[in-house]
Amino acid sequence: MTTAISVAGLTKSYRSGSGLLHPAEEAALDDVNLTVGAGTITGLLGRNGAGKTTLLRILAGQEFPSSGSVRVLGAPPAENEDVLRRLVFVREDQAYPEIKVGQALRVASWFYPNWDSALASALADDFGLRAGKAVQRLSRGQRSALGITIGLAARAEVTLFDEPYAGLDAVARQLFYDRLLADFAEFPRTVLLSTHLIDEAAALFEGVIVIDRGRVVLDAAADVLRGAATRVSGPCLAVDALVAGRPVWERRQLGSQASVVMIEPLSAGDREQARSAGLDLTPLSLQQIVVQAAAGMLAPVPGAGFATERTSA
Amino acid sequence: MSTWVKVARYNLLRPSICLLLPWILPFSFAVGALTARHSHEATGYLLTFFLYFAVQGMQTVGRSLPFGLALGVSRRSFYAGTALLGLALALVSGLVLTALQAIERATDGWGLSMHFFRVPYLLNGPWYATWLTSAVGLLALWVYGLWHGIVYFRWGTLGTLAFIVAQALVVVAGGVIFTSEHWHVFSSAGGSAVGLTALGLTGVVAALAVLLLAGGHATIRRAAV
Repeated sequence: MTTAISVAGLTKSYRSGSGLLHPAEEAALDDVNLTVGAGTITGLLGRNGAGKTTLLRILAGQEFPSSGSVRVLGAPPAENEDVLRRLVFVREDQAYPEIKVGQALRVASWFYPNWDSALASALADDFGLRAGKAVQRLSRGQRSALGITIGLAARAEVTLFDEPYAGLDAVARQLFYDRLLADFAEFPRTVLLSTHLIDEAAALFEGVIVIDRGRVVLDAAADVLRGAATRVSGPCLAVDALVAGRPVWERRQLGSQASVVMIEPLSAGDREQARSAGLDLTPLSLQQIVVQAAAGMLAPVPGAGFATERTSA
Repeated sequence: MSTWVKVARYNLLRPSICLLLPWILPFSFAVGALTARHSHEATGYLLTFFLYFAVQGMQTVGRSLPFGLALGVSRRSFYAGTALLGLALALVSGLVLTALQAIERATDGWGLSMHFFRVPYLLNGPWYATWLTSAVGLLALWVYGLWHGIVYFRWGTLGTLAFIVAQALVVVAGGVIFTSEHWHVFSSAGGSAVGLTALGLTGVVAALAVLLLAGGHATIRRAAV
């Protein structure tokens, strides 16, 4: 698999505080290392203020790194039109000039060599976007729909979505997932999608990157993550027997019943043991795993194939 | 279509340019005509049109730059395309001003003995001089406004204020040097330039425009959106 995005030692600091002589530096990104394979859909997850938008802005050449190297399609993206014209960045807080929806789509079509006008009109229709409406007058959801329309119709080799569906209703969001997958199947590209609606988008992801306080705390294949953690609950003694000496996250106990999250894949033998002991096994959802990862709870999991970068402050 | 031309077309879509700009001249002319019976010198109203160029140059940054960059345009191309639009608008507007000046001459000031398009000293020569001087002036104002737009985009109100104060200091310093060196550029009589014709002044403004262009470029290079 070729690499579409590679980031090494990326740090971005902003001046904070008011001291003119001794300005405090605050790191929005702190020594970030990651790679994203070409032709994959990767989820970029993390809490508000974790650094997701800053990372995407740097990947799109809108912001400059303080240090470290960033390569998109093999070259640094900043001011590099050979890269930029093959990249589209849809952000939640996109500012638009005083233009109409139809004009915004027309302008976008000028700049993207692979622009698909038919797809753009179809998406605009699906989302109920009227070409004659001024972008400034669009509701939050309609504005998101415009961004999504541009992002998909651009058919850019690298497509960056930052919270693309803020304000969109569930039906429109499903429409986005469906259209993204359908178009992706036909025209594979590299998609990096930042979102808070993790479980909703989980089925899209091939890879998952979790950022917390400017650091990558988890970078793994989604398949690996899906079976990676299991909640084991049942009688205390049986639970303890199964998880003895193995990495676990949390342990809850109520009377004679216990519940533990095991963070390694279960073998067939484990499952058989659990069944005969009357234990209940529930795999953790991607969202639950991400919550744990963002909380710094994720320990390196031996043998699970995680490319986890364990960081501690 | 080159990226610069695409950026120019993109900026041209804004209604304050494509809809409003053509109406500034008729409007200020109408005001000039209304007051022409009191004073035949109405050239001051023409200034409105020139200032509108500076304002438009300023406004092409704020919201247009972020969307431009979102569409994969580099800052360099955005800047060049925006300056190119300024140049095209300045050339066309200069031509319009030149034509209207010819009409004003032929009709003895629109039958009102009005001087609107004939500005003493500056725009009062042959047609090509009027075209050149007005186009260069409009372009310089566009680029000047553009630079302010970029400064505001990067450093907000305080930064713009500091920028203006810095300019005032440069002008004052320049003034002090010129007077102490006894470089009398303008004679006290009649306001005409000593050793500097209107075309010579146009050359100075053109050089200034190049400086402004370089300044704006240096400022937009590290702008983050």
